[in-house]
Amino acid sequence: MKGAELVLKVLQQHGVDTIFGYPGGAIMPIYDALYQSSVKHYLCRHEQGGAFSAIGYARASGKVGVCMATSGPGATNLITSLADAMLDSVPVVAITGQVSQAVMGSDAFQEIDVLGLSLAVTKHSFMVRSVEELAATLNEAFAIAQSGRPGPVLVDIPKDVQLADIDYQPEASTSVKPAPVATSLANAAKARALIAAAKKPIAYIGGGVHMAGAMGQLQQFLAANPMPSVTTLKAMGSVAKDNAHYLGMLGMHGTQAANLAVQQCDLLICLGARFDDRVTGNLQKFAPLAKVIHVDIDPAEINKVRFADAALLGDMQQILPAISAGTDCADWLSHCAQLKQQYGWRYDHPGERIYAPLMLKQLSERMPDNSIVCCDVGQHQMWVAQHMRFSHPRNHLSSGGLGTMGFGLPAAIGAKLARPQDTVIAVSGDGSFMMNVQELATIKRFRLPVKIVIVDNQRLGMVKQWQQLFFNERYSETNLSDNPDFVALAAAFAIPGHCITRKDEVESALEAMFTWPGPYLLHVCIDDKDNVWPLVPPGAANEEMITETKA
Amino acid sequence: MNHVLNITASNTPAVVERLLQVTRYRGYQLTGLQMTPRADSRSVAIKLSVSGDKPIHLLTSQLHKLYDVQQLELVSAELAVLSA
Ligand SMILES: Cc1ncc(C[n+]2csc(CCOP(=O)(O)OP(=O)(O)O)c2C)c(N)n1
Ligand SMILES: [Mg+2]
Repeated sequence: MKGAELVLKVLQQHGVDTIFGYPGGAIMPIYDALYQSSVKHYLCRHEQGGAFSAIGYARASGKVGVCMATSGPGATNLITSLADAMLDSVPVVAITGQVSQAVMGSDAFQEIDVLGLSLAVTKHSFMVRSVEELAATLNEAFAIAQSGRPGPVLVDIPKDVQLADIDYQPEASTSVKPAPVATSLANAAKARALIAAAKKPIAYIGGGVHMAGAMGQLQQFLAANPMPSVTTLKAMGSVAKDNAHYLGMLGMHGTQAANLAVQQCDLLICLGARFDDRVTGNLQKFAPLAKVIHVDIDPAEINKVRFADAALLGDMQQILPAISAGTDCADWLSHCAQLKQQYGWRYDHPGERIYAPLMLKQLSERMPDNSIVCCDVGQHQMWVAQHMRFSHPRNHLSSGGLGTMGFGLPAAIGAKLARPQDTVIAVSGDGSFMMNVQELATIKRFRLPVKIVIVDNQRLGMVKQWQQLFFNERYSETNLSDNPDFVALAAAFAIPGHCITRKDEVESALEAMFTWPGPYLLHVCIDDKDNVWPLVPPGAANEEMITETKA
Repeated sequence: MNHVLNITASNTPAVVERLLQVTRYRGYQLTGLQMTPRADSRSVAIKLSVSGDKPIHLLTSQLHKLYDVQQLELVSAELAVLSA
């Protein structure tokens, strides 16, 4: 067979039945092989969108997402999405066509040094030099993408390798299993002693917990060691909805209860998180009284930004039971419960205009169980994190580390294909939506019943908020009041839609959206003055949150 | 502070670029580089000299993660100064 056919054979051996991509000259042999393959290819309308769909697919399902692009512009269009997968540790395999080796290095048509470009945005990358090494390289790519801390892997395949003949006999179990995780429990006793001695412990939960498949162990840990918990953006949905001690998201737009409790705690148990600057605020002033237990799979995260009094590396499923010590902190629990009560969200917004936090709370309450919400980036993203509840982090897909506008719509496409039985909702902003709006054509072609909610403030709202607060209200280039008619735009892709402007329209509009069997766009107009609160200003400690009344 | 890292890595086309990219991105200056392919030419011995104000473990832990890096040994800072 040809190298191109071998690529698809190996994908199938890894259980891949869905890929996202866009053809072009240097990858034509693989597209030719696809023509008669049972691997289902979803044509995106921009390679960035295709790779985001692969990310959405991977994040919603826990499987590896696969995307393809041609050489040159096709490959460069993947870069943003690979960077997104890198910073959010998403297992993705990207396959790019490359010009033939005979002309490589001659500035051939659509030749670009993709291997060189990939260094900063992938966990690892390969250039395949001969058809003999093709299968082994692809197997390695899948193993690397999933092993340890997951991430994106790029495989660049020159056209002559795709066209070369090979006598390929798949071995019985070609699929290289990801390397088993080495777990060290050497510091478990130390961690248990810290937990047993703590008067004010708190669990700071990141995406590493669910990615390790340790959701069950986490609930058991929190039950056996009652303590308040907070989550990062990526870990929303990690703590069971009935856990009374959960305080919400921490960080720049976290809840006041979460941030105050973390600032006051004497033991911070960091589980699969990395002390990101959007979480810590001023690092020197972050949780200043706390000793730290840090559990992670990536040794490079330990002591990277915050010293750990006890560090445990490896498999979260094994570590959580090993550090369970029992807590005795009734006063602290009631103090945190009181913070939660005192600083609860308020939805009694005056006037008849739609208040996005309330609208999203209504959406959250109305959406079917196990719905997946795919977010874009900006104020609406923070409102989703603040006001919607999720039963699993795989139900809340948000671009965290890279904060990439344009993520939501294509991620929703991938999520819908990964979990066709579940409702998928893309919550986007008027700015972000336009960044990958071409993917409406993908939704149309495959009749994907994705629900799209555009929170339209006619602004690049998050940037506008910073201009208002920190740049003397000089609103440079953030006005989008000449937005297109989003309902008409959707109609051009045969997607029905509806526009609402008043609070009293929300319930029936949501009802109509969920009742409609196919894709649907709900255009929600809000006041451009609404901002995200609370907010930790740059350089401040997390207890110095600005709230609406103080601003 | 100067440091010398003795690294054994797979002899892949981009391996030196990967080491240098991580070194630069993590905020260390390259002060010396020597590489010798091993006899079987499958792996390569690399001596990387760097300087930087940050603790060196912030660099070594990131270099360790590179898929091509097989072994990494930090020669103490004093030795580095002596041999300089
Ligand atoms: C690709 C990209 N470009 C620029 C930014 C910077 N940025 C962050 S939020 C934001 C505004 C987003 O506007 P919109 O999607 O309308 O959301 P809103 O904040 O109004 O809810 C911008 C420009 C970004 N995060 N990503
Ligand atoms: Mg907006």
